[in-house]
Amino acid sequence: MIQAVHLPESAEAVAVHSARGGWIMGGGTVVMPLVNSGAATRSELVSLRRAGLAGIEVRDGVARIGAAAPLSSVEEHPELAFLRPALRTIASPTIRNLATVGGNLFVEQPYGDLAVCLLALDATCEIAGPAGRRDVPVAEVLASGIAEGEFVTAVVTALPEPGTWYYHKAMRRKLNSASIVTVASVTRTADGVVTSTRIALGGVAPRPVRAVSAERLLRDRPLSPEVLTEAGEAARADTAPFDDAYASAWYRARVLPVHLRRAFAGR
Amino acid sequence: MPSQIVSLVVNGEPREFIARPGVTLLAVLREALGLTAAKRGCAQGSCGTCTVLVDDRPAPACLIAVETVADCSVRTLEGVAVGGNLDEVQSSFVDNFATQCGFCTAGMIMVAEALLDRDPDPSEEDVAEAISGNVCRCTGYRPIMIAILDAARRRRGESVEGIEGTAPARPAEEAVSR
Repeated sequence: MIQAVHLPESAEAVAVHSARGGWIMGGGTVVMPLVNSGAATRSELVSLRRAGLAGIEVRDGVARIGAAAPLSSVEEHPELAFLRPALRTIASPTIRNLATVGGNLFVEQPYGDLAVCLLALDATCEIAGPAGRRDVPVAEVLASGIAEGEFVTAVVTALPEPGTWYYHKAMRRKLNSASIVTVASVTRTADGVVTSTRIALGGVAPRPVRAVSAERLLRDRPLSPEVLTEAGEAARADTAPFDDAYASAWYRARVLPVHLRRAFAGR
Repeated sequence: MPSQIVSLVVNGEPREFIARPGVTLLAVLREALGLTAAKRGCAQGSCGTCTVLVDDRPAPACLIAVETVADCSVRTLEGVAVGGNLDEVQSSFVDNFATQCGFCTAGMIMVAEALLDRDPDPSEEDVAEAISGNVCRCTGYRPIMIAILDAARRRRGESVEGIEGTAPARPAEEAVSR
């Protein structure tokens, strides 16, 4: 039973309620189903809706996205157009009007495609809490979470250079469908070979993961279908796939190389 | 924290009500304000039948703690008809047999209203994306998509003739109510 809903008007005020055990709520798409079904484990909600954390700034090739920015506002931002294909398959437009960037970091797999993108981008999370503020790589937040009482206030990422962003998601339907395999990558090439690459995977482990084995294999090699398939097979070592209603662990592992290849080669 | 008085602007009119902490916008609309068009389906944001417009954007009312949208503008299906006349989307749903059991209809129409407000000439793909959060277990979606595309034409003042798969419809002039 919810005893209070707080609507703090600054990050500092959010921190006060969060330190007292309030449950941080961005758009409510994760929290409210639990409230509605009586499964909420906390009695006070702290909404970020009026905390001034929903702004998006893009300056000098760096985007700072407020944690409470709805996914729809990222989708509509002209300078974040490279993220549109990823955002358009996250739930439905109606959910994206509520669901937030910060919340997406904490949803269970096989959801959280934006978190997969942010991992590939090597984004930084700005975190506030009882001990003050700190900046943490998104990889660390995804791998080990944040401390009790802490909350993410913003995500900061460099925009990928033109031609270096790759994204592909395998799913049951074309829209509003959870991930079977999600691949996001920032990969630079020169003279036909890979000079640097970060590849993040969703749908194939309990958390979004970096495909470090595939990254290692791709360096100094061309993005040819053969090399990509080899890299996709190597990437299985970086995953821990699971069974769910969308696909079996076996299937996810089986098709991972196909979709890693498609992310880069388009087929 | 005890129950508190919350204000909303619902279908253009300021409304006040007493809300206990964490009550959903959907529960307030249905139980405090008597506006029962938005339905309670899944209560987890998956079915879309509770969709209303909050500050002109469609969202599932079951996922919104009402305090968080205090003083916002909310539009429901009850606010769509003008002077007792069905609007283009509503009349198009009737004429194109886009309603069967009716449980999804309120949400489908609100999503369509938001879509046509933003884009008067949506493609079939745009319509499919707009309704992708709204489940219909009767129609197979085709009549709903036809109705929304037809409503767009009516709103633009174009003829409703010649839409493939469309049921016989009244001429656009009669169907348009504003």
